[in-house]
Amino acid sequence: MLVYAVNRLVTLIPTLLAASILVFLFVHLIPGDPAAVLLGDAATPEDVAELSRAMGLDEPLWKQYLLWLGNVLQGDLGTSIFFREPVLDVIAAGAETSALLACMTMVWIVLIGVPVGILSATHHGSWVDQIASGGAMLFASVPTFWLGLYLILIVSVGLGWLPSSGFPSLADEGGITNLRYLILPSLTLAAPNAALIIRLIRATMLDVARDDHVRTAKAKGIHPARVAIKHVFRNALIAVAAAFGFTFAALVSEAVVTETVFSLPGIGRLVVQSILRRDYPVIQGVILIVVIFYMCVNLLVDLAYAYLDPRVSLS
Amino acid sequence: MKFINHLTVGLWLTASAVAVSGLANAAGTLRYATVGEPPSLDQHVVTSDLATTIAHHIFEGLYAFNAANSPVGLLAAGETTSEDGKTITIALREGVMFHNGQEMTSADVVASLERWGAHGSRGGLLFANVESVEATGPYEVTIKLSQPFGPWKNLMAFINGGPAIYPESIVKDAGAEPIAPEDYIGTGPYMFGEWEANRHVELVRFDGYASPDGPADGYVGTRAAEFDALRFIPVPDVGTRVAGLKAGDYDYAESIPGDLYADLDADPAVSTILNGGPIFGLVFMNSKAGPLSDNFALRRAIQTALDKTPALQVAIGPEGLWRANGSFLPDGNVWYTASGAEHFSQGNADLARTMAEDAGYAGEPIKFMVSTNYAFHYDKAIVYTKQLAHAGFNIDLQVYDWATLIEKRAQPDQWDLFFTHHGFVPDPILISVMNDNYPGWWSTPEKAALKAKFTASSDPVERQAIWAEIQALIYEQVPTMKTGDVYTYNIASPQLAGLGEATLIWPHFWNVSK
Repeated sequence: MLVYAVNRLVTLIPTLLAASILVFLFVHLIPGDPAAVLLGDAATPEDVAELSRAMGLDEPLWKQYLLWLGNVLQGDLGTSIFFREPVLDVIAAGAETSALLACMTMVWIVLIGVPVGILSATHHGSWVDQIASGGAMLFASVPTFWLGLYLILIVSVGLGWLPSSGFPSLADEGGITNLRYLILPSLTLAAPNAALIIRLIRATMLDVARDDHVRTAKAKGIHPARVAIKHVFRNALIAVAAAFGFTFAALVSEAVVTETVFSLPGIGRLVVQSILRRDYPVIQGVILIVVIFYMCVNLLVDLAYAYLDPRVSLS
Repeated sequence: MKFINHLTVGLWLTASAVAVSGLANAAGTLRYATVGEPPSLDQHVVTSDLATTIAHHIFEGLYAFNAANSPVGLLAAGETTSEDGKTITIALREGVMFHNGQEMTSADVVASLERWGAHGSRGGLLFANVESVEATGPYEVTIKLSQPFGPWKNLMAFINGGPAIYPESIVKDAGAEPIAPEDYIGTGPYMFGEWEANRHVELVRFDGYASPDGPADGYVGTRAAEFDALRFIPVPDVGTRVAGLKAGDYDYAESIPGDLYADLDADPAVSTILNGGPIFGLVFMNSKAGPLSDNFALRRAIQTALDKTPALQVAIGPEGLWRANGSFLPDGNVWYTASGAEHFSQGNADLARTMAEDAGYAGEPIKFMVSTNYAFHYDKAIVYTKQLAHAGFNIDLQVYDWATLIEKRAQPDQWDLFFTHHGFVPDPILISVMNDNYPGWWSTPEKAALKAKFTASSDPVERQAIWAEIQALIYEQVPTMKTGDVYTYNIASPQLAGLGEATLIWPHFWNVSK
């Protein structure tokens, strides 16, 4: 397994190089000039050209790429045009929010999605299943911006229980209690994702329940709950593990709507804002990090397969 | 299962505990929900209104505007102008400290003015007429002009893209690039604290602040920093800005849409604050290339086709928030004039069609660029496109994001019309159409002659009369079409004291407390 993991990590290098060229090209091919965005509407094309020159944005693209790549290989992702801070620091600040939000969301998904999915499968066709499936369908269909705004109106404005938006760092005043800022956004994000997990667990468990080994287990008189968990759910978990992995990766990098509604300083909003302002170093840096992150999650999912299913060989 | 039950209960208990313990906010901090983040706070280079809303608490200029939009000394104690109007000697206030502990002297003022003149967004307007700026004493600066320049004090008082005074050590080698946050050192009542990307920009009270004397009047007079800190928090979603203010998470929230105005104005939990200086949309015409470049008759045909009122109704909403006003400066302002404004909003499709035919228009496509970043640009552009099509114009509406639009508008072959908007300015010389290099590139001999007279005069009455002529020329040559005044508004917690009923141009939080 170790050899497999090392091999997979080595194959990351050419993939990352290809991704870096693509990202660099696409980012610079979009029309728009950060100098123009920075200077604002009153600036003339001459003002914009002067600032572009001062920032080195008038150099040929290949030269800019090689300079950037050289710096990246030395661990320097450049400096944000707008924040005037190292890109790594900007990303690290966003990563804290995104990672905590994703983790808290995963906790809700596991706490809600797994038991409800199992109940729905073990009671399929019953009123329990009807309610669970109907609820899952409802939450999978509700747009996150709508749910988020309603949660803010009810919980923050109406009841005054939780803050409506923002997220101070855990290192700031308030420390660990700042996690309260993430409760509503994580519930908002968890709703559609938990719904999908419920439906996935239900469908996979119903499939597995038709297998011969389950019939055999039942014939041997094993307690139905034990059959459901040990024989059915354990086998269904293989498909669910992959879904958990990709859901987590998406939660870290793609929660832009929720981050916008709750004004969270996360990675998704950082990317969108940087694209709108053409902050090239930040866009390139974030996408590179997200590519690496997705590759690592992929690798972990594959390793999890081998752990969960002895039939899977990674050699 | 037991473990999961314990975990659930544990999490809920923790959540409830932290919810109860941590809701109170630090006393003495004003929390301002912004629409986004400023591009930079360097006032010389950047003209973003949001940047100025934050930065004018940190940086100060030699002059500032009072409530009547007249320039009054801020860092300047007074000035004398030579009889020929070409030598201006400015006396500086003594004992004004920078946030780094140094006293402001004439060397800092000279270095700041020179950098603003060379690289500032609006500095070129004045410095095209400046021969030299010299320190003629530790607290005295002398500006020599090549010819009299009437609006010099107005330009100096306009802090947005204006001559903020920085320490010489910072500004001497700053060049064209915006200065970095660690160098945000000014003389204002608040000093730069920190900028956490996407989280907040925080300013903290400057205890060594030397306030100007006199009663507070607009941006001049006494400035007292009542808060320990001002925190500007980007909250891009308007629903969250409103809900956050109602929930007590913010004290002030900006840029609220017109359709919420009636409800919020009636809500006792919220104060609405109109911005006194209206913004106005502008549709620029290309004077360098394309079918409109030198065909003023065709431009007038387009102008004749447009009825601005329905576009304002669609884009803005409540009638209290807009005026179909053809004067470039609003009613009540010293620069208000009806000159030429009879052409502002005719909405006469039949006449426009005839005028276009007489101008030789044969249905060539007219490229009209608009951005969706500003909803009211797009909404108005849709109405205008429909009105123009009704009058027989072949409009090719091109919709871009703002960054793309401002790159394309610099290329004369890419467009014929583009939509933008303009903030309120206290002197018409600051309106972008007066700048020959602004995209649109309006620089006819008639404009040059009037502009020369306008800038050479220092007599307010004469300048107002010349401005009326310039506005009439704008309606005749149509380098741009004004789309009407829009009074944006912000909302605040009723607990804030000292805000006043309207903001002058940008909200300010000295002399404000809660």
